[in-house]
Amino acid sequence: MSVADLPSSAAMRRATADPDRRQASAGWLMSAPALALMLTILIAPVLLALMLSFTDYSLGNPSFNWVGWDNYERIFTRSTYTKMLSATFTYVITVVPLSVGLGLGAALLIQSLTRGAAIYKAVYFLPVMATLLAMTIVWQLMLHPSIGVINRGLEGLCAMPFTRGLLSLSFLGLSPEATWFGRVCTEGAPLWLGDRDYAIWVVCFIGIWQGFGFNMVLYLAGLTGVSRELYAAAEMDGARSYWERFRLVTWPALGPTTVFVVTITCIRAFQAFDTVEALFSPGGGPGKSVYVMMFAIYEKGVTQNLMGIGAAITVLFLIFVMILTLIQHWITERKVHYT
Amino acid sequence: MTRFSPSLIIRHFILMIGAAVVLAPFVVMLSYSLKSPAEIERGTGGLFGAQEMMVDPKCALRNAPRRGDIETARTRFPDRDDSTIQTLLTEEANAACEVRPVVFNYRSAFQDAPLLRYLLNGVIVTASIFLLQVLIALPAAYALSKLKFWGREAVFGLVLFCLLIPVHAIALPLYLGLAKIGLTNTYAALVVPWIVSAFGIFLMRQFFMTVPDDLVDAARMDGMTEFAIVWRVMLPTAVPALLAFAIFSVVAHWNDYFWPRIVVTGDRSLFTPPLGLREFQAGADGNLYGPMMATATVIVIPLIVAFMLAQRRFIEGITLSGMK
Repeated sequence: MSVADLPSSAAMRRATADPDRRQASAGWLMSAPALALMLTILIAPVLLALMLSFTDYSLGNPSFNWVGWDNYERIFTRSTYTKMLSATFTYVITVVPLSVGLGLGAALLIQSLTRGAAIYKAVYFLPVMATLLAMTIVWQLMLHPSIGVINRGLEGLCAMPFTRGLLSLSFLGLSPEATWFGRVCTEGAPLWLGDRDYAIWVVCFIGIWQGFGFNMVLYLAGLTGVSRELYAAAEMDGARSYWERFRLVTWPALGPTTVFVVTITCIRAFQAFDTVEALFSPGGGPGKSVYVMMFAIYEKGVTQNLMGIGAAITVLFLIFVMILTLIQHWITERKVHYT
Repeated sequence: MTRFSPSLIIRHFILMIGAAVVLAPFVVMLSYSLKSPAEIERGTGGLFGAQEMMVDPKCALRNAPRRGDIETARTRFPDRDDSTIQTLLTEEANAACEVRPVVFNYRSAFQDAPLLRYLLNGVIVTASIFLLQVLIALPAAYALSKLKFWGREAVFGLVLFCLLIPVHAIALPLYLGLAKIGLTNTYAALVVPWIVSAFGIFLMRQFFMTVPDDLVDAARMDGMTEFAIVWRVMLPTAVPALLAFAIFSVVAHWNDYFWPRIVVTGDRSLFTPPLGLREFQAGADGNLYGPMMATATVIVIPLIVAFMLAQRRFIEGITLSGMK
């Protein structure tokens, strides 16, 4: 470009005009497939979902009606969908902070080690790679009310007077009904997946189990970027304790990582499906307590062929994702540049 | 730092508890895939099962003596009555059907369902997705980073926008479109939604930005066409980035359950490994935990082994999305 801008290079410009045009046409040719596919596979479906959300379309029906905001109104008034929203948000609000917190905690602990760090890192990363559906089925077997290892373990602990006394806190003089473990021993171990009070938390647990290793790795990468000098400077300024140094140096330096980790964990949490489908299909768990959005889209839109309502949930979902991304951009631009 | 400070011990203790919780399901999966149904039912057999001979129930049922067998066996047992002959024959059949639990579990996993087919489908689908992603992303990334053309910024803007759309979220309209053109229950349906990866284009574009222009110019001097430059100059420089992207893509699609669940209904010959396992769990054999866990192990193991062999690359690849 710089050569062509020189006044004396008119002849040269003529010579390069042809290559320039060739470059432009090659550029278009090369990006055309990607462009066309992005428009048909990603953009068109978003618009289609938006359109369908105002109809009562079903696959196979010759025609459909425009129903205005009916589908959206239903989402916010019918109990099925309010349960869906509450299950989704319960899941997101539980899984995001815990898996981010555990990821950070694991990263800090692992980083402080001189030996064994690689082993812990590999172990914590295993669930991220393992097929979630398969591991969900394993958890289901472990949580089996009668033959599962978890309830067997609880029964075993109840059977031993020492552990029973310790875990039910009866050595403090509490009655067996006062503690969770005491109730397990007297009334029997929970049904877990069949119990409305436990189902959603089990799904949350599996989500955290699967995802925190991913966050750990991102935090470990972030921690390598924190300069040693900052710690030295903080120490000179009187930050003696570990906690002080964390608060003054590590946490602010991890700001950009945290914003990113929280956003990506949120988006992944909103997309929870495999666990719910494997454990609670059809229906969405006892009392629809685990009826998360992706599962609702699948069940309403695909299984029951109610495209309109499925599309409305899709649109709502996309809006949530957009809001999250906007918040991320806003925070990133506003304050997280410390390093 | 001192060698055995209490703080170090506490840190290891916490990390070990974490590791135990993380590993528990993997241990259970492997352990149950080795045990006999009776051991699973009673909770005995330790980690590896006692590996005592057991009778394969399916085989025993298949070989159970029928009316005709008793007739023909009469010559072998001349002075016995029919019910005794039947008992003897049943014993013989059972003896012929004795297997070690581990053999039983893994053999059932492959024989009762076309697991090999599922695995093959998984390979076909993940490989096609990755190859098509590269085929489409590489030229586009090259154009967006090294070629000047009108509208380039707009195209790149679209790529950035598409990064925000999770493909799973728009599954319903995609499914509708595919159903309308009659593509559900085909390999195409499993592959098509993923072939344009905005993330792949973005990633490769960022990588190509770091490749010096001189390299491209030199290739042009040599008379290479722009397309030849992409495949013969840029592709070789991009191998490390492509490898990371390959891991990212293969792990995501090998493990994906949501999309195959939507577009493949009923046709077992198209099932990907997760769909096959799900069918096992939901089917009549759902209480045959040993074979089910064997199936799960077979599905999960390939990636885990690959991970063990190339840990750093895997972690890089899967956390690629952290590079944004």
